Amino acid sequence: MQNVIQRELTINASAERIYNAIADAQQVVKWFPEAVSGEYREGGQAIMSFGDIGQSSIYIEAMTPYRYFAYRWVPGSNHFVGDVRTVPNTLVEFRIEELASGGCKVSLTETGFADLPMDIAEVSYGQNCRGWDFMLQRLQQYFSTETK
Amino acid sequence: MSQTAVVQIFKALGDPVRLQIVQRLSNGVPLCMGELSKDLGISRQGARKQIQALVSANVVQLHPAGREVKVQLDAATLAQGRDFIAALEAQWDQRLQALKQFAEQ
Repeated sequence: MQNVIQRELTINASAERIYNAIADAQQVVKWFPEAVSGEYREGGQAIMSFGDIGQSSIYIEAMTPYRYFAYRWVPGSNHFVGDVRTVPNTLVEFRIEELASGGCKVSLTETGFADLPMDIAEVSYGQNCRGWDFMLQRLQQYFSTETK
Repeated sequence: MSQTAVVQIFKALGDPVRLQIVQRLSNGVPLCMGELSKDLGISRQGARKQIQALVSANVVQLHPAGREVKVQLDAATLAQGRDFIAALEAQWDQRLQALKQFAEQ
């Protein structure tokens, strides 16, 4: 049983390319939220929009080119827009490591689920299910435009 | 399954002492309350309180055995907790695949 989500994958691209895909507001919208507004920089507060699903505020904890990107949010919540540091939140961290064989190892961790109060966690559980549908839709859109 | 139940599981496990208690029970063998309360760095009474919190979240079950009480992990509850995390993990897997597709194009 865990309070942590940890994922890892290999991406065949340079650390710079991967980092920018995450840390550049213009690029992150190509694969994660539909839109980003606000201050998408270290120490900044931004809002990620997920189409009809809603919006989530994030606080960007750290941006270290081309290795590390971390932000805090209330997972999946489309109601919480504001300073996430004032409420229980989870920390999402991306780590990029160059591999000797080429490409990079990208690690993702999200921590802090046990600290979420019951009402927020219930809301985020329901919304994460919808968020999942949304991401699948976006992936399908992506692949259909790729094959054109 | 009720979302409230799942959240209760995570809250119950979000404490180092309670997590240690669960780890001691993780091989599925029931332990006596007294045995389980040893070496937790807290009083017997404090340990009892923490075990009670795990009972409330259905993480463990109490079975009276003579003059003692045996504590056993509730496997069904822990499976629910795993499902919850698995759903979130699946969501991140999708996002990371989208990142990979984007970065590699």
